[in-house]
Amino acid sequence: MKLTFSAEDEQFRQEVANWLANNLCGDFEPIRFRGGPGDEHSFVAERKAWEKKLAEGGWTAIGWPKEYGGRGCSIEQQVIFNEEYARAGGPGRMGHIGETLVGPTLIAYGTGEQKEKYLPGIRAGKDLWCQGYSEPSAGSDLANVKTKAQFDEASKQWLLNGQKVWTSLAHESQFCFVVARTDPASTGQKGLGFFLVDMDQPGVTIRPIPQLTGTAEFNEVFFDDAVCSAGDIVGAPGDGWRVAMALLGFERGVSTLGQQMLFQSELDDIVKIAKENGAANDPSIRQRLADAHIGLRIMRYNSMRMMSGGEDGSLQKEAMIYKLYWASWHRNLGKLAMDVLGPESELLTDAPYELNRLQSLFLFTRADTIYGGTNQIQRNLIAERALGMPREPRGTV
Amino acid sequence: MDFTFTDDQLAFRDSVGSMLENEVTTASIRERWTGDSGENGDMLNMLNEMGMNSLLVPESCGGLGMDLVDFVLLADACGKAALPESIVEDAVVAGGLLSDLLASGQHTDQVQELLGGVAAGDIRVGCAHIINPYSNFAHRKDWMLLANGNDVHLVPKSDLKFTALKSVDPSRRLQKVDWAPSRKTRVAEGEVGAGLQRATLNRGALAAAAQLLGLAQAMVQQAVDYSATREQFGKAIGTNQAVKHLMADCAVQIEFAKPVVYRAAYTVGVAPQRADWAVSHAKTAAGSAAELSARNATQVHGAMGYTWECDLHIWVKRAWALAKEWGDAGFHKNRIHEWLLQPNALLGPEFTFGKRYIDHSDSAAA
Repeated sequence: MKLTFSAEDEQFRQEVANWLANNLCGDFEPIRFRGGPGDEHSFVAERKAWEKKLAEGGWTAIGWPKEYGGRGCSIEQQVIFNEEYARAGGPGRMGHIGETLVGPTLIAYGTGEQKEKYLPGIRAGKDLWCQGYSEPSAGSDLANVKTKAQFDEASKQWLLNGQKVWTSLAHESQFCFVVARTDPASTGQKGLGFFLVDMDQPGVTIRPIPQLTGTAEFNEVFFDDAVCSAGDIVGAPGDGWRVAMALLGFERGVSTLGQQMLFQSELDDIVKIAKENGAANDPSIRQRLADAHIGLRIMRYNSMRMMSGGEDGSLQKEAMIYKLYWASWHRNLGKLAMDVLGPESELLTDAPYELNRLQSLFLFTRADTIYGGTNQIQRNLIAERALGMPREPRGTV
Repeated sequence: MDFTFTDDQLAFRDSVGSMLENEVTTASIRERWTGDSGENGDMLNMLNEMGMNSLLVPESCGGLGMDLVDFVLLADACGKAALPESIVEDAVVAGGLLSDLLASGQHTDQVQELLGGVAAGDIRVGCAHIINPYSNFAHRKDWMLLANGNDVHLVPKSDLKFTALKSVDPSRRLQKVDWAPSRKTRVAEGEVGAGLQRATLNRGALAAAAQLLGLAQAMVQQAVDYSATREQFGKAIGTNQAVKHLMADCAVQIEFAKPVVYRAAYTVGVAPQRADWAVSHAKTAAGSAAELSARNATQVHGAMGYTWECDLHIWVKRAWALAKEWGDAGFHKNRIHEWLLQPNALLGPEFTFGKRYIDHSDSAAA
């Protein structure tokens, strides 16, 4: 055990902080602390430009190996980058799906051709990606995918038909990775393929889904004979589930540390308001503020523990507890924010339905316990996979 | 000891409830969101025809002369329907305060005339309280009852300035009301005024609590229905214990909150000077049941419950607003512990229910 960063890492931290101070300013000043969950619709053009700015400075894909254009940063350095990025108010990343999910997946499972075709665009902050997993009948039961991929011998390409749903940022993305059924007779985890699909084609229709926040960052995506070239399947037909699950392993990596810095900044805001408006005099609010602080520290220590030893970024057993914990904690923080604001919490700042930062936090955190595996699914995973309890029986409908 | 309602009370609830169920469709609620006034004129007429406006108005003024026990089930029904119109607050809070003014002999002629107009459905009176900085649908009222220090004022619309504010709940039309108190508009002052305001807060919190009960039940019902039809892993999601338990937890809180709300309604009627803790208990219990129901019903709906298209958020957002209006959980829990921890609190079994509680004259322990 050594709970410190090395001198080299501290120097790296300074380098990151300096670069952000010198670049996240001027034209980019308005996008500080903007974007991200609940605020994805804000400053889209500016945040796309910011992605390119990051890339020019060499701050995209820092965890990728150098041979693919990354910085080859250690886990510690990635943690430091995420911490400093969040502290500086770095806007919600638009390239995060490509950088943290697609990139590592292609590096691990992609062909040379796929790496060459896709990694540079992600690294350059140019190509944005979205995730084509969930479907109307495949939510918690992700393996119940119905979208079909059929190989057309005449044109030597795949034809995709079906529907995806809850696809974040689909309307801003150049590409989507899609889990689709390559064997029409198969069910469940067998017979799936993992496809890299160009969104800019007649076979793809995108329809935004307005949320109870009044904004739309999710979409429905319809594939009607959408084409995907023969070289754009990752792994073999039938091997899609393995690739799709490996990708999710990367999802719960170092980005969680940056998320915690965002949480810290939200908590700081709430504490500040509680002091200003007198809510901090209420004993029940004081207790909940302390609980929030305690919970956040627990998450931080545990994340660092999860990272320890996991040099390849692979998901460790302890990681299973993390989603359940942060989602519940964050949801409670949203409620605390509203209680601290009191009657003001009900007022919108602007017509037609413009939420302030803490209202967004409150409303959006109601989704935290749902997306990426509901709290109920997470508890089942912990019970069945970590504790080895008997599996929940499945139905036959 | 009898917690049951009379057949008349239940029949009244059923007729109002079924009218609301038929007329207050979610499509019609969404229409109100885009309308100028936020209200539906036909609905206001129907509510008036059913006697909602005149329920608490004394018979001498053309009203039905009923009490809050009669009203509590109707408020529950309004919550169940997520009725946007502010009929519950108008009838219980404004109507209650006007009746109090009449009973205390303050400005009898003017108050009597207004009560008659309210009962006939010709005049609309609203009521604000210092605990709520904003007043729902105040701009639609002909008169507002407003507080200034201990004083209570009755102010015509022409002397009020409204600033419309947007609520997270699109069904609500909050107004900031600016006005200048004058001797002309003052209807009560000093101790009398303070007592009236305290009673107003209790009636407002009780009205909110009863609606929260209805909101909570409606949300749970929607989630229960959804859990029976939505399938994952080859079976309805409601077959999973994890999903069942979310709903069972809500049902337990709702059912345990009901007698608390009924008791508060009774106490406000028979011993208003001792109603604070009973009302605070009701608001806390119903608010907590409704907030849990909002959370768990959304959770059971999964991502679908997070969309604007899914009707659930109509109820969820109202529950959030009403849980805070007329004092949030922190305020009401503070009132409970202040009562509980005072040296001469009336705490024995003889004070839990019954005559000794109502008759006890030690006002310091109220």
